[in-house]
Amino acid sequence: MRGQVSTGKARAAVRRPAAEQPAPRPAVGQGYWQIAWRRLRRHRLGMAGAGVVFVLLVAALLSPWIAPYPPTHIDLENRMSPPSWKHPLGTDELGHDVLTRLLYAGRVSLTVGFSAAVASALVGTVVGLVSGFYGGWLDNVLMRFVDIMLSVPDLPILIILARYFGGSLVGIVAVITAFGWMGTARLVRGEVLRLKRTDFVEAARALGASNARIMWRHLVPNALAPVIVAATLAVGGAILTEAALSYLGFGIQPPTPSWGNMLQNAQDFIWRTPLLAFWPGLMIFLTVLCFNFFGDGLRDALDPRLRT
Amino acid sequence: MGGYLARRLLQMVPLVFGISVIVFMVLVMAPGDPVDLLLAGNPKVRAEDIQALRKIYGLDDPLHVRYVKWLVNALRGDFGYSRTYKVPVLQLVWDRIGNSMWLTIPSFLLALAVAVPVGVISALRQYSALDYAATFFTFFGVSIPAFWFGIMMIYVFAVVLRVLPPGGFATPGVAPGWPTVVDRLQYMVLPVVVLSLLQMAALTRYTRSSMLEVIRQDYVRTARAKGLAERVVIGKHALRNAMIPIVTILALGIPNLFAGAPLTETVFAWPGIGRLIVESVGGGDYATAQVALLFLAVLVLVFNLLADVAYALLDPRIRYD
Repeated sequence: MRGQVSTGKARAAVRRPAAEQPAPRPAVGQGYWQIAWRRLRRHRLGMAGAGVVFVLLVAALLSPWIAPYPPTHIDLENRMSPPSWKHPLGTDELGHDVLTRLLYAGRVSLTVGFSAAVASALVGTVVGLVSGFYGGWLDNVLMRFVDIMLSVPDLPILIILARYFGGSLVGIVAVITAFGWMGTARLVRGEVLRLKRTDFVEAARALGASNARIMWRHLVPNALAPVIVAATLAVGGAILTEAALSYLGFGIQPPTPSWGNMLQNAQDFIWRTPLLAFWPGLMIFLTVLCFNFFGDGLRDALDPRLRT
Repeated sequence: MGGYLARRLLQMVPLVFGISVIVFMVLVMAPGDPVDLLLAGNPKVRAEDIQALRKIYGLDDPLHVRYVKWLVNALRGDFGYSRTYKVPVLQLVWDRIGNSMWLTIPSFLLALAVAVPVGVISALRQYSALDYAATFFTFFGVSIPAFWFGIMMIYVFAVVLRVLPPGGFATPGVAPGWPTVVDRLQYMVLPVVVLSLLQMAALTRYTRSSMLEVIRQDYVRTARAKGLAERVVIGKHALRNAMIPIVTILALGIPNLFAGAPLTETVFAWPGIGRLIVESVGGGDYATAQVALLFLAVLVLVFNLLADVAYALLDPRIRYD
């Protein structure tokens, strides 16, 4: 037991330089982002994740050109057909081509994921910035509000909100954002509280910089790294949430395809055409997994202190 | 400790108030009030009748008046009737919570039984094959859509292998006693596994990182230097300290099991609180949705409190005041 532990440690010690060493010798003028990029490139899983995400994005963007059929095209004679030359992944119960639907659904799911993650990051950054910078009663009120929002069980309340506002793309993004910004707010507030006391902020203030300038030029750029990491990981989370809401019938409504609503009916046909339920879920899984790998790589590259 | 508890309880009051306002507002803002839903599609209804009904239900009162009325009734234990099931909401929600417990408690125990040993071993043998496997598993666990995983499990075990039921709660007409227990267990297997997956993944990750942090501490080295058996060093000195943050994660994770239940319970047609929320929201059954939501919110608060108290009890470094 003991021997194994120490060999494990020895191996860890051997490995660590390769994984954590910032750069062999940072050349003059090599900035933080260049060093981070070099670290990211060495993170194999992170790069693999980024690669798959890139392919998915391109496929989604080009879907009008690469999809074999228009998104609402119905082949009445070939409903629930198995994979064939005409329909590479088969058709669903209405005669939609599954490959076509998957591509178009990818557009919807990725759009929702990105928009909700960016919107949550923006809202969270603003709230955290204001809360940390001004402090006092404002900080108190905002942070108690964050506590409340974090105490509300999110999926059930998302179901309710999505039922009434979630039919459209904008609606679903707004609903996911409404319960997605609190983590970033806490993160940014913490960073701001730390940065506020640093000498360079003091110096900026002494030089007569306005509050807005201090926040925008000194606090935001320095708090950016963890926000980017959180936002990347949030894309996966938002895609999962959208899929869950659409699966339950409260998200994106047919005939607009989303990976979640494709699964909704597929479960009923699992005895006849199990593949119908397989593909959309696989796409969600793959996308979220790759965003998580990429986010993990980003975290290691941007802020090695955050390693878990 | 008593003072600490009392203060924490007092701090919960504004939180509960805030949450009750949010829960109330969310459902009041929703388009289509109870009268609209009640009379929808009935051509014989006149405008005066609608007005009268709105008055009876108090829907024309200002919002704060409606909130206070709702709150006063709620404090008396009167949450109204479910429009769909025609029974008192409290009764309905209570029954469904009972059904949910059949899933949440076993899946919590399953997650605990797998995650803690795997996390500990994976930390003790960092960078071993098992560690990599565990890390990969945690990524899978947090990335896989639980409902899809559930559907795939149904396909494998109910459609192909035909060893487990595809969903539901009990087979009608099973003899009471032992056969009922076996029957219920068969229905429980798949949803319990699916529900525990996410929790398991998160818990493994936390256990691993907490353990990794602890085994590098000086007091662990000291324990080794004293010549203690490795079993004692790990079991007594390392694990006990590593468990402190894990207990917090555990307590915070229990409400998540209920909050995640809408998906799992829908996939497996399990008549629990999660499915009740999905059904009542879909059917415009406001009173039911409100109470179910409020219950979940209070659950989160209670377990937050428990987590803090457990933390304070387990870690003597934390002062109560």
